[in-house]
Amino acid sequence: MDLETQIRDYIVSEFLSGEDVPDLTDDFDLIENGVVDSLGLVRLISHLSKTYAIPVDDIPLLPSNFRDIEHICAFIRQSPVAASG
Amino acid sequence: MTATTDTTTDTFDTVAAWAEDLNRDNATLDDRGEFPWEKWKTIQRSGILAVPFERRYGGEGRSLTETMRALEGLGYTSRDAGLNFSTSTQIVSVGLVLQAFGNEELTTTYLPKIISGELITAHAITEPTNGSDATGITTTARRDGDDYVLDGEKMFITNAPIADLLLLYVRTGPPGPFGLSCFLVERDTPGLRIGEPLDKMGLRTSPLGAVTLDGVRVPASRRVGQEGAGFLILDHIMKREILLSFSITLGEMTHRLERCVRQARTRTQFGQPIGAYQAVSHKIADMKIAVETARKWLYDTGAKVEAGEDASIDVAATKTVVSEANLRTALDAVQIFGGSGFLSATGVEADVRNAVGGTIYSGTNEVQRNRIASLLGLGSPAGEGVRRG
Ligand SMILES: Cc1cc2nc3c(=O)[nH]c(=O)nc-3n(C[C@H](O)[C@H](O)[C@H](O)COP(=O)(O)OP(=O)(O)OC[C@H]3O[C@@H](n4cnc5c(N)ncnc54)[C@H](O)[C@@H]3O)c2cc1C
Repeated sequence: MDLETQIRDYIVSEFLSGEDVPDLTDDFDLIENGVVDSLGLVRLISHLSKTYAIPVDDIPLLPSNFRDIEHICAFIRQSPVAASG
Repeated sequence: MTATTDTTTDTFDTVAAWAEDLNRDNATLDDRGEFPWEKWKTIQRSGILAVPFERRYGGEGRSLTETMRALEGLGYTSRDAGLNFSTSTQIVSVGLVLQAFGNEELTTTYLPKIISGELITAHAITEPTNGSDATGITTTARRDGDDYVLDGEKMFITNAPIADLLLLYVRTGPPGPFGLSCFLVERDTPGLRIGEPLDKMGLRTSPLGAVTLDGVRVPASRRVGQEGAGFLILDHIMKREILLSFSITLGEMTHRLERCVRQARTRTQFGQPIGAYQAVSHKIADMKIAVETARKWLYDTGAKVEAGEDASIDVAATKTVVSEANLRTALDAVQIFGGSGFLSATGVEADVRNAVGGTIYSGTNEVQRNRIASLLGLGSPAGEGVRRG
C-alpha cells in the first residue's frame, strides 16, 4: 500500500468514523475543513511517530507539514529513519 | 560561570551547597508575598538555570531527565516553593522554547542571559476569558509590513511582575490548531503593561500578574517558530513544563515524608511515639507509596519524552498523579504534626497552600483527565486540547 493510501486510511478511520469521502484528495486541507482539530493533531503526530519510527522530537513542528495528506507524506519521506526503513 | 561543570555527576546536588541561603527567612517572605531577590542571586550562582541548555550558549548540556533530577534536588533542598516555581518557569517559559524553535538572532541574543538568570522570563497563554480553553485565545497579532501589532490581555502570568522577557501566545489565524503563534517581547516595549503582583493563597514568593498589550509593535523576527506553530510549540513545551516543575514537587514531597517520619518517631503521646499508632504509621506508609509512585511516573515519562516516544497520555497522567499526591500528603503532614502543623512557623501548612496550585496550573487536572479520555478515543469533550501555563 503506498504511503498516501496509508495516511488516507488512517484519517478516514480516526477522524471520519470510517466513512470515506470523495473530497478527501491528497491536497484536501484537513485543518481548514475541521477534520483534524487541536487534539487530533496531537494524535496524528503520535501516530506518525509510532508507525514510521520517527522520534517525536525529529518531527518538524511546522504547520505546513500537517495541512494535507500530500505534505504529511512529504515530510515522512524526508525523515532519515522513515526513508531508510 | 556555573557551579556544576562535571557532566558525570548526579545533578540532584546542584543546589545542595546553598541550602542555608535558600531557606533564609522563608516564613517572613511567604507572609509578605515578596520575590526573594537575594535568593535569586543564589539560584544564579548555583548554576541550576544552566542545566538543560547547550554549551555553546553557556549551558551544561544535560538531558531532560538530568534536568528533572536537578529540579528534584531543588525541591528537596529549598523550602521556598514560590522561588522553586519561579525557577522552573525561568528554565521552561522562554529558554527551552528558544533553544528548540528560536532563530539564530533570538537565541544568541537572549539565551546566555536567560541561562545566567540576568534576564527573568515568563510565558503568557492564559487570558481573563480563556483559561483551560487555550485554543480560544483572543489576544491578536496583526501583520503590518515587517512588523506584527499585538493587542489583548493575559492573566495569571507567573514571573510577569519581575520579567524582562515574555513569550506571548497570540492569535494570528482562524480558530483551530494553526491559529496561534508565539512572540518574544521585551518588558519595556511601548504598549506593554504589566500589572502589580496579585495576592494569592500559595507560592506567594513567586510573583504572578496580568499583562496588557495595547498596539504593541514587534518586528517579525520576534516571532518564534513559523506563523501558526503556537499550538505545536505549546504542546512541546507543556510536556517539559510538567516534567520539570513537578520534579520540584517530588523533591518537596520526599523532604516532607522524611520530616513526618522523624516527627512520628520522636513525638510521644500516651507513653509511645505517635508512629507506633497505626493511624499515624499508615498515613506515612501511604505517603511513601505516593512519593515513589510520583517518582516512577515522572522518570518513566521523562525517559519516554527523552527517547522521542509519544508520551501525551503519560504526561497528563503524571501531572494528575503528582499534583494530587502532593496535596494529599501535605494535608496528612499537617495532621501528623497536630497543632504545631497548623502554625505557620512550622512550615507544614504552607505546603498545603502551595500544593493547591499544582492541581490548577499547567492545565487543570480536570482538563488532563479530558485529554487522557480523548486520547483513548472517548469522544471529544471540550477542553481536551493542550493546556498549560
Ligand atoms: C499558580 C499559578 C500559576 C500560573 N502561571 C501561569 C503562567 O505562567 N502562564 C499562563 O499563561 N497561565 C498561568 N496560570 C493560569 C493557569 O494555567 C490557569 O489558571 C488554568 O489553565 C485554568 O484556567 P482558568 O483559571 O481560566 O480556569 P477555567 O478554565 O475557567 O476553569 C475553571 C474550572 O472549570 C474546569 N473546567 C474548565 N473546562 C472544563 C472542561 N472542559 N471539562 C471539565 N472541567 C473544566 C477547570 O478544571 C476548573 O476547575 C497559572 C495559574 C496558577 C494558579
